[in-house]
Amino acid sequence: MKNIQREDIHIIARHSNLTETEIAKMLKENVYNDRESWQKFFKLFFATLGVGFTVSGIIFFFAYNWADLNRFAKIGVIEGLIILVTGIVLLAKINLTLRNIILTGAAGLVGVLFAVFGQVYQTGANAYDFFLAWTVFVTLWVIVANFAPLWLLYIILINTTLFLYAEQVAGNWSVIFVFSLLFAINTSILIAAILIYGKKIQNWFLNTLALGAATYATMGIIIGIIDRYESAFPVLLIMTAGVFALAIWYGLKSRNGFYLAVVALCSIIIISTLLVRSADGEAMLLFLSLFIIGSVTMSIKTLIDLQKKWSNEK
Amino acid sequence: MKNKEDIKHILEQLRYNEEKSVSFDEDAIIAAYQDNNERQSLFIKILSVIGGILASLAFLGFLFLAGIYESETGLLFVGGVCIVASILLSSAYDKIIVDTLSVAAFMIGFALIGVAIGEITRNENTIGAVFIVMALVTLCIVRNYMLSFVSVLIVNGSILALIIMNEQYSLINVYVSVLALLMSCCFLQEAKLITLSKSLSKLYNPVRTALVFSLLSVFVLQDIHWVLPVYPALIWLPNLIIVLIIIYLVTKLFKILDITPLIHKLILYACTVLGLWLTALSPAISGAILIILLSFLVNYKTALAIGIVAFIYFVSRHYYDLHYTLLTKSVYLLLSGVFFIAFYLFTSKKKLTNEKV
Repeated sequence: MKNIQREDIHIIARHSNLTETEIAKMLKENVYNDRESWQKFFKLFFATLGVGFTVSGIIFFFAYNWADLNRFAKIGVIEGLIILVTGIVLLAKINLTLRNIILTGAAGLVGVLFAVFGQVYQTGANAYDFFLAWTVFVTLWVIVANFAPLWLLYIILINTTLFLYAEQVAGNWSVIFVFSLLFAINTSILIAAILIYGKKIQNWFLNTLALGAATYATMGIIIGIIDRYESAFPVLLIMTAGVFALAIWYGLKSRNGFYLAVVALCSIIIISTLLVRSADGEAMLLFLSLFIIGSVTMSIKTLIDLQKKWSNEK
Repeated sequence: MKNKEDIKHILEQLRYNEEKSVSFDEDAIIAAYQDNNERQSLFIKILSVIGGILASLAFLGFLFLAGIYESETGLLFVGGVCIVASILLSSAYDKIIVDTLSVAAFMIGFALIGVAIGEITRNENTIGAVFIVMALVTLCIVRNYMLSFVSVLIVNGSILALIIMNEQYSLINVYVSVLALLMSCCFLQEAKLITLSKSLSKLYNPVRTALVFSLLSVFVLQDIHWVLPVYPALIWLPNLIIVLIIIYLVTKLFKILDITPLIHKLILYACTVLGLWLTALSPAISGAILIILLSFLVNYKTALAIGIVAFIYFVSRHYYDLHYTLLTKSVYLLLSGVFFIAFYLFTSKKKLTNEKV
C-alpha cells in the first residue's frame, strides 16, 4: 500500500469500523518514517551540526585573539583553513552530500576571509565590494557542486551585492530601478534553472526564488504607485506583466498551482494599492475589503478546480 | 489530490489486507474527498489567510472611519454578528473557498468585541479572558480547518497577553511546559485522537499545527527580551519536561532503529542528556529539537521545516547573547562541533558494521 497518505487514513478512520490499533498500524506502515529514513536523517543532522558548530567555533576563536594577531597571521590563518576544508572536500572519502555541506561551510569561510581583509585594510565590513568579492570567489564552487543550499547562498550574495552597490555607489539609481533590476536578475536565474534542470531541481529552491522575484516586482510597483511615476516604472510594469503571464503559462503547463497562487496574490496586492491610491474615505475601504475577499475567493476556487481537473486527468 | 478510482483502489487494498471484516461508508468517504478542506496545498491555505487578514484590516479601517467606535453597543453587536456569521458560514459550506470570508469576519468580530470590552471595562484582563472563552467555544462548535487553527492561536495569544500584562513572568515557564506536553501528546497519539470521534479527527490537523506555532511564538517572544523577559523562577520546569519527552522519544527510536544492546542504549541516553545539557539554559533550542524529532517521527513535513528554521535561529541567537568571552563561546562551539562529528562517524561506522554482519 504505497500510495496511502495521512489524509487518506484520517478520512477512512472517520468513516469505517477500524480500531485505534489498526489505524496506528496503518500510520506506522504507510506514513511514519522507518528505520532507513531515520538513519539518513541522523547522518545528515549530525554532519550539518558538526560542520556548522565547528566552523562557528573557529570563527569565534579567531575573533577572540584578534587584537594580538598581525595582519599576515589573520589572513593567513583563514586562508589556511579554507585550504584545509576544501582539501577535505576534494580528498576525503566521504559521500557527496557531506562533501557539499562542507563546501557550503567553506563558502562561509570565504566570507570571513573578506570580512577580515576589509577590517585589516579599513574598507568597512558592509562595503559592497566585500560582498562582490565573496560572490565572485565562490562562483566556481557553486557551479561545480551544484548543491541547492549553496546556490541559495550564492543568489542571496548577488542580491546583497547589488543592493549595497545601489546604496553606496550608484546614488542616482531610483528605488524602482533597483527593484526592477533585482526582479530581472532573480527571474532570469529562475528561468535558467527551470530550463537547464527541469524537474530534477528541488521545489523548495524554485519556490523560494519565485517568491523572492515576485516580492521585488510587487514592492517596486507599489512604490511606483504610491510615490511617483518615473521612467523605470513603465519598464517594470511591462516586465512584470510579461513574467506573470509566463508564470501562469508555466504553472498551467507543469500543473504547479504555486506559481498561479503567487501571481494571483501579487496582482491582488497591486490592484488594492491602486484602489487605495485612487480614492480616500470609508467607502473605498469597504469596497477594498469586498474586493480582496472576492478576488482571493475566486483565485482559490480557480486553483481548486484546476487541481481537481489535473488529478482526474492523471 | 486523488480521484474516485484511486480511493476505491485504496479501500479494496484495505479490505484485502485486514484480517477481520472491515466496513466502510464508501459514499461518505468519496464525498469527504470531494470537498475535503484539509487536502488543499499549503499555499492555498496561506493565500486564504493572507486574504482574510488584508480584507479584515480594510474592513476595520472602514468601520473606524465610519465612526462606529463611538458606540460600544454598536461594536459589540457588529462584532458578535461577524463571529456568528463566520461560524455559520463555515459550518454551512465547509469548503476552502468560503474560508477567506469566514476568517476575515472572524477576526473582525474579535477585534471589534475587544475594542468594545476595552471601552466598557477599561480592563485588559477582561478582554483576554473573554477572548479565551470565545475561542474555546468556537473550537467546540466548528469543524473548519482555518477557524479552528485561528481559534487555537487566539487562545495562545490571549494567555500570553494576560501573562505579559500582569507581569507574571514565572507562569510562562509553566505555560511552555503545558504547551510542550500538549503538542507532544497530539503528535504521538494521532491514531487515538482521530479514532475517538469524528469531530476530534477533523480538529486534529489544525490544532496540531497551531500548537507548533504557539510553542514557537512563546520562544520568539522570549527572544525579544523587553516583551517577555526570561524569568529565572521555574525555568527548570520547561527544560525538564522537554528533556523527559525527548528521552521518551529516544526510547521509541531504539525500537525503530533496532538498537538492543544495553550498553549502546546507555551511551545514547548519556549523549542525549549531555547534548541537551549544553543547551540547558535555552528551552527554545531544546524545544526546536523536540519539534524536529516529533515531526520527523510522524513524517509531518511542514512542522519539520519550521522546526529546522527555528533551531538554526535559536542556536545563533543563543550564542550571540551568551555573556561569555569569545574564547569560552568558541570552546563551547568547537566542543559541540567535534561531539556531533564524532557522533556522525560513530553512527556511520555502526551502520557499516551492521551491514557487514
